[in-house]
Amino acid sequence: MKSLTITEIEQFLKSVEPEFDLRVPIRLHDGTRSLGGLNEGPLSLMGGKIPLKPTSVFFPQTERVFTRESDGEIKMEKPGEKPILVVGYTAEDADCLEFIDKFFSENFRDDLYFQKRDGSVIMVVSGKCGPDGGFLKIAGGKCDLELICDGERFIAQAYTEKGRQLEKKMKASKEVGDIDSLKKMSDELPDDDLKTIQKASELILAEKVPDAFWVEIGDRCIACTSCNYACPTCTCFEVYDRVHDGTTVRERMWDSCQLDGFMREASGHNPMGTEDIRTRRRIHHKLAADVTRWGHLTCYLCGRCDDACPTNIGIKSVSRMIVERYSQANEK
Amino acid sequence: MKKTLTTCPYCGTGCMYYLVSDENNKITGIEPTANHPVSKNWVCVKGWNSFHFVNHPDRLKVPQIRKNGKMEQATWNEALDHVIARLREIRDKYGNDSIMFFSSAKTTNEENYLMMKLARAVFKTNNVDHCARLCHASTVVGLATTFGSGAMTNSISCVDEADLIFVTGSNTTEQHPLIGTRILNAVQKGAKLIVADNRKIRLARHAVLHLKHKNGTDVALANAMMNVIIGEGLEDKEFVANRTENYENLKKTVEKYTPEYAAEITGLKPEEIIEAARMFAKAKKAMIIYSMGITQHSHGVDNVKSMANLVMLTGNLGKPGTGVNPLRGQNNVQGACDMGALPNVYSGYQKVTEENIRARFEKAWGVENLPSNVGYTVTTAINAAAEGKLKAIYIMGENPMMSDPDQNHVREALEKLEFLVVQDIFPTPTAKFAHVVLPASSYAEKDGTFTSTERRVQRVRKAIDPPGQSRSDWEILCDVAERMGYKQMKYKNPGEIMDEIASVTPIYGGISFDRIDQLGLQWPCPDKNHPGTPVLHVGKFTRGLGLFCAVEYKPSMELPDKEYPFCLSTGRCYFHFHTGTMTRRSRILDREERFPFVEINTSDAKNLGIRNREYIMVATRRGEVKAMARVTDGIVPGVIFMTFHFEEGPANLLTINALDPEAKIPEYKVCAAKVRKIS
Repeated sequence: MKSLTITEIEQFLKSVEPEFDLRVPIRLHDGTRSLGGLNEGPLSLMGGKIPLKPTSVFFPQTERVFTRESDGEIKMEKPGEKPILVVGYTAEDADCLEFIDKFFSENFRDDLYFQKRDGSVIMVVSGKCGPDGGFLKIAGGKCDLELICDGERFIAQAYTEKGRQLEKKMKASKEVGDIDSLKKMSDELPDDDLKTIQKASELILAEKVPDAFWVEIGDRCIACTSCNYACPTCTCFEVYDRVHDGTTVRERMWDSCQLDGFMREASGHNPMGTEDIRTRRRIHHKLAADVTRWGHLTCYLCGRCDDACPTNIGIKSVSRMIVERYSQANEK
Repeated sequence: MKKTLTTCPYCGTGCMYYLVSDENNKITGIEPTANHPVSKNWVCVKGWNSFHFVNHPDRLKVPQIRKNGKMEQATWNEALDHVIARLREIRDKYGNDSIMFFSSAKTTNEENYLMMKLARAVFKTNNVDHCARLCHASTVVGLATTFGSGAMTNSISCVDEADLIFVTGSNTTEQHPLIGTRILNAVQKGAKLIVADNRKIRLARHAVLHLKHKNGTDVALANAMMNVIIGEGLEDKEFVANRTENYENLKKTVEKYTPEYAAEITGLKPEEIIEAARMFAKAKKAMIIYSMGITQHSHGVDNVKSMANLVMLTGNLGKPGTGVNPLRGQNNVQGACDMGALPNVYSGYQKVTEENIRARFEKAWGVENLPSNVGYTVTTAINAAAEGKLKAIYIMGENPMMSDPDQNHVREALEKLEFLVVQDIFPTPTAKFAHVVLPASSYAEKDGTFTSTERRVQRVRKAIDPPGQSRSDWEILCDVAERMGYKQMKYKNPGEIMDEIASVTPIYGGISFDRIDQLGLQWPCPDKNHPGTPVLHVGKFTRGLGLFCAVEYKPSMELPDKEYPFCLSTGRCYFHFHTGTMTRRSRILDREERFPFVEINTSDAKNLGIRNREYIMVATRRGEVKAMARVTDGIVPGVIFMTFHFEEGPANLLTINALDPEAKIPEYKVCAAKVRKIS
């Protein structure tokens, strides 16, 4: 069992840089943590989840679909030269990725997504390296390799062949680590948030949440779209063409169900024409519709929408309010 | 992949974020910063989409010169030589003051400083102004008179500390979204909110009191509130006695504004005014937030003075959680004012009429005989051009055809000019009248600073190279100066320009690119060790004592009548910005609001047989515009509202060219209009 220091991890990352397009946790100019190359900022393994939508690595805000030259020839986008290596997903992020892999391959396969995703390697970072010294849940799978922090060093756990190949390349000054006690700590992490959204989901499905509640929440939504743009399992996009000097470029960019234009019909009629219905849809989608469709919730409690929402109506906050007000125990 | 920390180019909130760019010199998205005191991990919808116009195919990429009535591509040398030659000719023939320079609140501080330096040091005219004339000129005049400093007194974070927030003439959640959300959060935590605005804006849904007073009656409302406060002895006697002057005059003036008297003017109930007055006066920390609803009137300065009177009377100044807080509309409209892109002051509001100040600038700039007469404003320049008195305008990043009142009047003025230079990033409706068009670079393609509404000077950074042959405004301006034979306008980079600004501008004295590398500083920041100033007027006003300026209510210039029975008010919507040149070229934003629209009350629409989303004609004495009816109870009967974003339905074809006598700001919020169905 390899147990690496941060310096050893950095050395390992440098050693694989020629083979991979690295997306590792770094600090940007003002200290904001992000995913990027080693040349974009100092490595920042401690601190937990990266604020940006982690799945943007494979599904960026905008991307080119194809270009059509003036002679009519269509050129599809080509995959990058090197496979992507992501370090720094949390266990929750790995859950989200597993879901959108399924989403983007179901019925019709999204080639643009899989151009980046195929061949990529995912390394989760977990253990005693959360924000303010907090403990991050251990994934125990759903990724190629996991770096579990014991407070000082990171123990490497490979789960796939790709992960094992990379583990071999890691040079560790220590080969032992107490993984069992860390796993025990992970198992003992509180699951209050999970219980809350599960309960909120049940209440929504049982139609216990009245329309008036959504009006109240919708009144606080300014349609900034940050909840969607931060959410790792939001996958909606808009497609548009631009013509540059005779060459048509088709691109796609993130869309948001919190916008009026998202569902507006050509007539101008909008079946989701008010904020309360749009807010209800946002929560309902992850906690009710997807439960029916996929058999599970599609919020994995990463907390990004709660962090990104300027008026505190992220999914955890809203779920808490639903449970407080409408669960039987609390019903007046 | 590269991530560049920069400041948003839309409103004056001053959010910072990262521009994400790829190896093909293209911006692919934005990423919020987690550490900024205002934006802290948040971005509004315009922010999220603020990169998308940058790569639009419409970008101007090559200089153009009008030849035989047609625009033809030219080299930079040809274009700039032509500019110089024509401006020289006009100056020699008609005099220095026959040329006007429009600076821009969209460009950086450094560029605004250079524009005013070019006008004053090189062309020897004080004819330099910018679009603050159209938004907060009333604030600059009104607050400078009452307090000695024409800017937001407090910081955005002060919203979190207020017990009572009085929002008037500001649709904050749409126009300054991340200030609006702070107000919403403050209300969630128990602060009281009063909204004075006759549109049912989002904030009104959260207000304890929503005052739907008639457009243009703000002075009557404020005077009546002060009448109640004084009558019930609720004024802050200590503050009034120790920190202010001219109180007796105010007291006497507001005597006649009883709630009943004001109710007749404002259309409010007397008890609503009384309740608002008591709540405001009794709050421990009350703040006023206002914007265009206060300033864009023929009595805009009076409105601003009334706001200042109200906070002085209740002692709500010089401490956190209080103050008079005008929200500046543009990313750098505060900075453009600070830089002296105004006809009466140099940078730092130093008056051109004062000899010792002129002498200081003459020395710093190595010139003689700087002009001492106050120049034209943006609005009076258009009037002067229409009258044939002004012969040439050099416009940097402004679009008067869309933004100024009475479009036909603006067209006439631009057509009469002997020479018009337009320096911009897109072919605007104004550029159609230009003799020379110079392609400039966008905010994502240059370095510099913007100053936000809370007086925070922040970095703007180059993420990608400008497209085609386009160049930064500062480089173009320096080139023009050099070709005019002026030697002291050469800089290696915008950091050097800021160093010069700091050396001649006391309130920016301590600002340098090094100091604001990660986070900006709030002026006044007089020296290199000064930490900046979050709250103004602590212990003492900039002018010494706060001056009560008693004002009487004056009706708007053109009120509804039999022929034109509606009051037309204009403004912006959430998804678009000003004349739409950038937001209408951003996919998601343009999709959200695609058509020119007019809000009309449900009962008015019913009476006229107008259906929702039906195209109707809106007419005033200036002309007629087709717009889509938005039938809503969010607006009161008798009032209609339009935005000025749409070239195909320009609200400013309808607005009246009536100006505040001091600030010269147009009355965009009130004119008489009629609507009719299209048969």
